[in-house]
Amino acid sequence: MLSPGYVARRVLHALVVLAVVAVVTFFIVRLAPGGPAALADPALRDAERAVIEARLGLNDPLPVQFLKFVGNAVRGDLGQSFLFGTPTTQVIASRLGNTLILAGAALTLTLLVAVPLGTLSGLRPHSWLDRLVSFISVVVLAVPVFWLGLILIIALAVLRPVLPAGGMYTTGMEGNLVDLLRHLLLPAVVLASASIAELLRYTRSSVRSAAKLDHVRTARAKGLPQRTVHVRHVLKNALIPVVTVIGLQLPRLVGGAAVTETIFAWPGMGRLSVEAALGRDYPLILGVTLVVAAAVVLFNLLIDLVYPLIDPRIRTDG
Amino acid sequence: MKRTLMTLGLALAAGLAGAQSNILQLPLINDPILNPLIAPDLGSILVNKVLFPGLVRPDENLQPVPDLAKSWTVTNGGLVYTFALRDDVRWHDGKPFTADDVVYTFKTAADPKSGSRLASDFSSIKSVEARGKYTVRFTLSRPFAPFLILLGHNAGILPKHLLEGKDLSSNTAFNRQLPIGTGPFKVSRVVPGASVTLEANKDYYGAAPKLAGITFKVVPDLNTQVAQLRSGQLDWVTLEPSNLASVQNVPNIAIKQANAVQHYLVFFNLKNPLFTAPKVREAMQYAVNRKAIIDGILKGYADYPTGTIPTALRTYYDKSIKPITYNPAQALKLLAQAGWKPNARGTLVNAKGEPFKFTLIVDKGNATREQSALAVQQDLKKIGMDVTLQTLEFGTLVRDYLIPGKYDANLIWWTTPPDPDQYSFYATGQDNNEASWSNARADSLLKRGRETVDPVARKNIYNAYQRLTMQDPPVLVLYYPKELQAISKDLTGVPDLGIRDALRYTERFQLR
Amino acid sequence: MAELATTRAYLAQAPAQRSWRRLRRDPVALGSAATLVLVVVFAFLGPVVRPVDPDVLDLARQLAPSTLAQPLGTDESGRDVLVRLMLGGRISLMVGLFAVLVSVSVGTLVGALAGFYGGWLAGLLMRVTDGILALPAFFLSVLTLTFFGPGLVPLVLVIGLTSWMGLARLVRGEVLKFREEQYVEAARALGSHDSRVLFRHVLPQILPTLIVNASVGISTAILAESALSFLGLGIQPPSASWGNMLSGAQNYFYTAPRLALYPGVLILITVLATNLLGDAVRDATDPTD
Repeated sequence: MLSPGYVARRVLHALVVLAVVAVVTFFIVRLAPGGPAALADPALRDAERAVIEARLGLNDPLPVQFLKFVGNAVRGDLGQSFLFGTPTTQVIASRLGNTLILAGAALTLTLLVAVPLGTLSGLRPHSWLDRLVSFISVVVLAVPVFWLGLILIIALAVLRPVLPAGGMYTTGMEGNLVDLLRHLLLPAVVLASASIAELLRYTRSSVRSAAKLDHVRTARAKGLPQRTVHVRHVLKNALIPVVTVIGLQLPRLVGGAAVTETIFAWPGMGRLSVEAALGRDYPLILGVTLVVAAAVVLFNLLIDLVYPLIDPRIRTDG
Repeated sequence: MKRTLMTLGLALAAGLAGAQSNILQLPLINDPILNPLIAPDLGSILVNKVLFPGLVRPDENLQPVPDLAKSWTVTNGGLVYTFALRDDVRWHDGKPFTADDVVYTFKTAADPKSGSRLASDFSSIKSVEARGKYTVRFTLSRPFAPFLILLGHNAGILPKHLLEGKDLSSNTAFNRQLPIGTGPFKVSRVVPGASVTLEANKDYYGAAPKLAGITFKVVPDLNTQVAQLRSGQLDWVTLEPSNLASVQNVPNIAIKQANAVQHYLVFFNLKNPLFTAPKVREAMQYAVNRKAIIDGILKGYADYPTGTIPTALRTYYDKSIKPITYNPAQALKLLAQAGWKPNARGTLVNAKGEPFKFTLIVDKGNATREQSALAVQQDLKKIGMDVTLQTLEFGTLVRDYLIPGKYDANLIWWTTPPDPDQYSFYATGQDNNEASWSNARADSLLKRGRETVDPVARKNIYNAYQRLTMQDPPVLVLYYPKELQAISKDLTGVPDLGIRDALRYTERFQLR
Repeated sequence: MAELATTRAYLAQAPAQRSWRRLRRDPVALGSAATLVLVVVFAFLGPVVRPVDPDVLDLARQLAPSTLAQPLGTDESGRDVLVRLMLGGRISLMVGLFAVLVSVSVGTLVGALAGFYGGWLAGLLMRVTDGILALPAFFLSVLTLTFFGPGLVPLVLVIGLTSWMGLARLVRGEVLKFREEQYVEAARALGSHDSRVLFRHVLPQILPTLIVNASVGISTAILAESALSFLGLGIQPPSASWGNMLSGAQNYFYTAPRLALYPGVLILITVLATNLLGDAVRDATDPTD
């Protein structure tokens, strides 16, 4: 089913995409005005400034710096972070896990809420459940994320202190699972809110159109039980677009959680990327971008490779 | 199954009791670098103040008192400083602290190639040598009065046995994971991006620490810090005046103000002919309603300025100097003397009919500074100046506008060590003299000021300098801000100092 | 692929008249449209009726309560909240509108170029599209705005330039489809230009989807501006936008929550009305329903 040619072509595409990402980011970052945070201190003497520039390797001409970067990156070395003084890969590794915890929780929440609710309301269009669910999902999509986060913190952590106001662990309880879950709940809800609303809408509309497909109608006409029709035919057809939508949510969950992570003081990639951008930490910016892009490309690659398996209508020789 | 879920739910809702007993919780905005010589930001400096004591520390009048040094003598007209060190100090790894550590620290600190950010503080050191196991002698190349103050400022002592021969910046095992100092608390755990946890050092040479530990938590957003303070997840937050409202009238939180050795100012680029006449700069002091800025924007948490020496330097500040108060009529009179008169439309023009027109830049993202800049712009507009306001990202502002001198006016601030020495800021041709101000008398006063060791003579010099800067203002000083602290009422034993210096005394802190 | 599958439903298009009739009878559509008209009038005509300087500080009247002269009171700097909401709305709506304009233009252009010309150009364009899709759009905005400075024009460009990719794929798909259909072949034979094909045949076909995309785009842009304001990268003070008013109000959440309430509610109803209208247009043009 999966021809080696197809797989090879997909992998090549993925690599080209990563190369585009690297080139675009490198030049956006380096052609911009301003400079690393280490140099932004007005109290620095001129001599100190020169020492810092030399140490950060900013004295070479730009093309030379780019070639050096590419040469090192190919060998898995993304350079030293300006802000942290440690290898970029190490900085990212220390945050990636936390982001995966948060993104994983948000994704789980999204799937648990959006798929069943979306399916139900898709199967019963114009029912009260359908109307309520659609209404809530449009409202949630219209609320600015940080507003939601702040309101939740103030309501549930300050005025009625049932949950902590950010962070990952209570002091002295690092590694405790219950404590982690307590800290995880609010940010996961906030991060998931938009994804839930979006996925709900997609699931609902794709279930609705799947229910109208010819072979589903045929199945129904053949007198198969309603339940069997739903599960075997409708859901199967409806879930293909759902998989794609999840793929589209991924960049947001992994790299775009900056606002949520900032509000909830969650030590993840989103916050790290903002820190890197604000501090003009060139190696770290490139590193974060590449890692996030690689994760997304990898996921899309998997989806591309899985599609032909779940949907024989998609040909792999095209 | 149901019961497990319920138990879990209850645990989630209630939290687990007794998690934080006697541990002080303080905020940071990013991961600190745990080495005082290369610490680049305030957060790192704060943690380092706890971990790495210096030879001396500042008392509540910001004067140096013994810390790692028991006593000292100053001889040869202020050229030679000899310190007798404590002999009962051990590093956090158990090795004894000796004069060799001090020698190593200052040799490295004074060498800019080491990556030290304190090189300019200690450029006056000609030699530093150990005279026996517990005596250190510094010889300076010229008399340098701020020397003792700087020793108690950011210069924490580093362990020679762990760092000698190693590059400071790339030694991340030390800087990020396991720093070894001599302070009352030592690092027990670092979670990148989240927290640095310290535990009491049982072998501390001073009074035994009363807290069990201190946790520095990374909480980047100030409003989240406030929420955590209110919910008991933090004990002490340094605020902006705009945050004040969110902690006022909260039962368990006290608001405290501390002196900060800072002055906020507007640079007028003296390479621009608009500003070269001292009368024009004097007029600015009458034209801008600084009282309104202090009351309205800083909510009263600042002192009214008279010159560039802030009130926090109690010993040197001259209270007798009369402040220049808001008086637009006087400003117009001075401007007229300098050749600028309002035309029919009320715009200030010179003899050739050219308008008084310039751009004021300020860094974006800080409400206090943005509003202050807006107030300055509006006040100057009122007397007929055509002022455009431009907000820029701080790094861009410094690197592309301020340092190359490509700006007209810039609202910014200086934080200095607790010493009146402002030579590098206001003497002719110095690196930090971004306005390119030049006044021969000021040059001589500033030079004498940093070389005069006798306190009374020194005070007279700086009082004369302060008076001079009222007539030929190098910059328009806007205010001397207070440091605003919101502190849990459970926390006691904190000296009356800004947070930087207060953290030199953490062994005295106590939580109820 | 899936996008194509779902949009295919819109494509067997109902006659425009029938859709329009349906739309006029839909109470949600009518309500949303009326709300949007009100918001636009508020933002664009309001400041004309109420010519108050929005930026002038009045440090003696901070956080003043509502009065006849200032129905919504003043903010933390003593500025009139009502007029700032109006002008802020102007900016926020313009961010939304122009960002969508950029996104639709670029998406259509790239999709059409790739569709009509094919070959290496299509390959390159679609790889760049994939590349930008793989980047988290929000991070890309943060990056560009920190480096090139925030402001209306950069904001519009950044939001527009990070959201055209889906449309480009869609347009390309349509172009490819139509190129294979006979009547287009015929039109080409008669000497019709690519641009004519695009505007006469392709764009009308995808118009409903375009409208839905645009409505989502406008709301996304308004929300993105508010999120970027939270990080200090939105519209810069003293200029008002709903996003930066909301973000500036955080400090007064406990003492003057109304400062956060007004812009928050305006964002909410604007985005809500835009989305609902977009949905209504889609439903009205969906022939299978």
